[in-house]
Amino acid sequence: MPGVYLAYPFCAQKCTYCNFASGVYPRAVEARYLDALEAQIRTCQWEWMPETVYLGGGTPSGMAPEGLRRLLEIIPGRPWAEATIEAAPGTITAEKARAWAACGINRVSLGVQSFVTKEIRRTGRKHTAQTVADEIGTLRDADIGNVNIDLIAGLSGQTEASWRESLDWIERLAPAHVSVYMLEVDEDSRLGKEILNGGARYGAGETPGDDRTAGLYEMAVERLDALGIARYEISNFARAGSESRHNLKYWKLEPYAGFGADAHSFDGRVRKQNPESVEEYLSGTGQVLDPPHDDERFFVGLRLMAGIRPEPEEWRRFEQPIRRFLDAGLLETEGGVLRLTGRGVLLSNEVFQEFLTP
Amino acid sequence: MDREFIRNFSIIAHIDHGKSTLADRLLEVTGALSKREMMEQVLDTMDLERERGITIKAHAVRLNYRADDGNLYQLNLIDTPGHVDFSYEVSRSLQACEGALLVVDASQGVEAQTLANTYLALHHNLEIIPVINKIDLPSAEPERIREQIETVIGLDARDAVLTSAKQGIGVHEILEAIVHLVPPPKGSPDAPLRALIFDSWFDSYRGVIILVRVVDGRLRLKQKIRLWSNGQVFEVEGLGYQAPKATPCDELAAGEVGFLSANIKTVSDAKIGDTIVDHEAPAAEPLPGFEEIKPMVFAGLYPVESHEHGLLRDALEKLRLNDSAFNFEPEHSVALGFGFRCGFLGLLHLEIVQERLEREFDIDLITTAPGVRYRVTNTVGEVIEVTSPTKFPDPSEIKQIEEPIIDATVITREEYLGGILKLLEEKRGVQKKFEYIGGGRVMLTYELPLNEIVLDFYDRLKSCSRGYASLDYHLSGYRVSSMVKLDVLVAGEPVDALSIIVHKEFAFERGKDLISRLRRLIPRQMFEVALQAAIGNKIVARENISAMRKNVLAKCYGGDISRKRKLLEKQKEGKKRMKRVGRVEIPQEAFLAVLKVGPVEEGE
Repeated sequence: MPGVYLAYPFCAQKCTYCNFASGVYPRAVEARYLDALEAQIRTCQWEWMPETVYLGGGTPSGMAPEGLRRLLEIIPGRPWAEATIEAAPGTITAEKARAWAACGINRVSLGVQSFVTKEIRRTGRKHTAQTVADEIGTLRDADIGNVNIDLIAGLSGQTEASWRESLDWIERLAPAHVSVYMLEVDEDSRLGKEILNGGARYGAGETPGDDRTAGLYEMAVERLDALGIARYEISNFARAGSESRHNLKYWKLEPYAGFGADAHSFDGRVRKQNPESVEEYLSGTGQVLDPPHDDERFFVGLRLMAGIRPEPEEWRRFEQPIRRFLDAGLLETEGGVLRLTGRGVLLSNEVFQEFLTP
Repeated sequence: MDREFIRNFSIIAHIDHGKSTLADRLLEVTGALSKREMMEQVLDTMDLERERGITIKAHAVRLNYRADDGNLYQLNLIDTPGHVDFSYEVSRSLQACEGALLVVDASQGVEAQTLANTYLALHHNLEIIPVINKIDLPSAEPERIREQIETVIGLDARDAVLTSAKQGIGVHEILEAIVHLVPPPKGSPDAPLRALIFDSWFDSYRGVIILVRVVDGRLRLKQKIRLWSNGQVFEVEGLGYQAPKATPCDELAAGEVGFLSANIKTVSDAKIGDTIVDHEAPAAEPLPGFEEIKPMVFAGLYPVESHEHGLLRDALEKLRLNDSAFNFEPEHSVALGFGFRCGFLGLLHLEIVQERLEREFDIDLITTAPGVRYRVTNTVGEVIEVTSPTKFPDPSEIKQIEEPIIDATVITREEYLGGILKLLEEKRGVQKKFEYIGGGRVMLTYELPLNEIVLDFYDRLKSCSRGYASLDYHLSGYRVSSMVKLDVLVAGEPVDALSIIVHKEFAFERGKDLISRLRRLIPRQMFEVALQAAIGNKIVARENISAMRKNVLAKCYGGDISRKRKLLEKQKEGKKRMKRVGRVEIPQEAFLAVLKVGPVEEGE
């Protein structure tokens, strides 16, 4: 069953590492945007019943509950098996949590990134570890117990010791799901520019390099595994049965419909992208199409730790790279299943490239 | 025309001392071109190249000048390239003249190349007219320069013409000096034909065009001519001169300069310096001075995209039609694939060919480190000439190696002496002369191995003299030297394109620098890569490139699979531009690392 993605690209402030087409806009733009979003949803001919809904950002938790209710009301399929809203810690009140639950939200993804105050401040965020703990309580009180916590490995000032502190908090708060991203320093972000210019703002000089970031990531893999939160995708970790049903659709090449600026849709064949910026979206710029590809199963499917089952024809076609990566210890195979090894995860781009069909 | 009224001359000048401006001025004053045409023409030739019939800065332009004595003179201005790489061509052009204008900048003074070309001109018994140019500049010191010409070159400069070609000052005086001081050509129109080839180029319609100076006899349309060096016979199909537009004529007689075409297919058949004689009634002796020119500097040229190999071969063949001084033969490199070993007259020549290939034929090139021709005597006692590191015999089979030596002249200002002496020392130079030539300038004569100047010598000389040093050199012989072949191994595999021949004393240092440069240029691979520099089996430097730890895309923003694909495709595309040696992907820049000498610098 397919999923629905709603993009809400507005934030109270832009994080220093952020390179997305999201940010701070005047209130009036936001109101126009919500109208346009609603209009786009209304034009949709629902050929299927959505199973999951995902509100991504931006910071959708900053949306007025009334606006959220209006949007969700026009999406069929309620109650959804999974309806997630991304939230910035420090924006969740008891009232808001109850309102979310009332309009069908049953999962919250918290953009915590770190539990260490110094690191949080350098990203431009204002919360503390305690804020997160309190808000998880608030959500539980509103019957939203299914919580994801986002962490970033490789933040400025992060050390093995400080990272352990963040992981300790995971143990303490015991969320059902954790995402661990490795910081990708992008030249379009404030932090990226600062690093390129050799500046010192946002702790640019103290950003761990690739090697240390990889080490931090592996530390998290090990620690979370010990907590019963297993890696099921390169960046996604969950207790058994708590894997994100919506995100799994991406990796399993199942269809989803995206609404809003920079939202992506996939009908099982063709991929479509809405215009990236809010301005273009509002001015009605058309979608960009990406015609069908037959190689996605590899570079998308292999992201899942469960691996993929290549067809006999694929085993033959990719015999050479498969052999090379098996020998190099980046891939492993068992009973017709092909999957990345631990080391292969960190070098997955090297692997994936070889499976692209030109 | 009566030889009494013919004057053949060239202009000797250092770069930027005003040769082109003066040539333009002479064309304008003699009415060969109007001021407006001047502009148009000059611009045209930039793009069209000289093949297109009208060449202005021409190799040989005929000017008609009515002198103060009332007579009409035919002045032939024979332009010459000024660079040391082309000294043979210069000497042939000078041989076609009876006089030369020595143009010296009134503030800069005499430079090394001017000096070398002036000596060449004196060697050919040319009448030299000193011209002190740019006297309109505030920094001009004509009196000092006059003195310098006398002390440095030993020319009487009392009557030097003071000019400003830019302002048009002194141009008339120059023309009068040419008429009165340059002797008319000798030689007899009635003697058997002898004509000197002093340049040639390929024209796709008419075949090879030859620039000639008729020394004896007459050159006529339809005449059967023979080229002395190879005995080939051709019939003259086109004859003319440039004024500056190509002007056809029926005959060129002794003393005259012009061009001919005779359905000759390649420039290598019409060699510069060769003598044209009449086929039916050949002269008994050729003109003196003909030499087969041999390339001195060698480098491998490889296409970046291996499928462009055929394209590169076609381009080299086309260039060779026009430039017989460079040669090439196919070469295969394990690292770079199929390419060509090319021989050049010098570094500038190499650069010209490289640039023409990239610009005119649109081929991306990788050029391997330039080297020279070594004479290797093996243990059996045979002498072989080696121009490529890959062809170097195993050290155990080498009895001795001789390397080419040059005599180099450097002229600079006293304040830069320290740095320059140090550089010459470092490049294994042996001082032969040290002279103060007045005005705070010094002339150094050194014996240097050619090998030492083919890499970074020019750049270093320029930077330690802030551009105030000029260099000229000529090959003086061969000398026994302790040269060794330095190999680079990447993950245990020798990378032939990175091998260099280097003096034993520098091998360790060069190896170390090269390896540390490569470590910065070769990206991390999926495994640890050892970089080694070796002489034979002996490792002289080693560094490791640690294994790549991470190359992973974490975030998947709202199911954006297309973006992921694009990133992967971009990475894959980047690898295509790399050359795979064994298991290691080596970027092109790494192959350029051998062109740099010295320790890795900040920010490199």
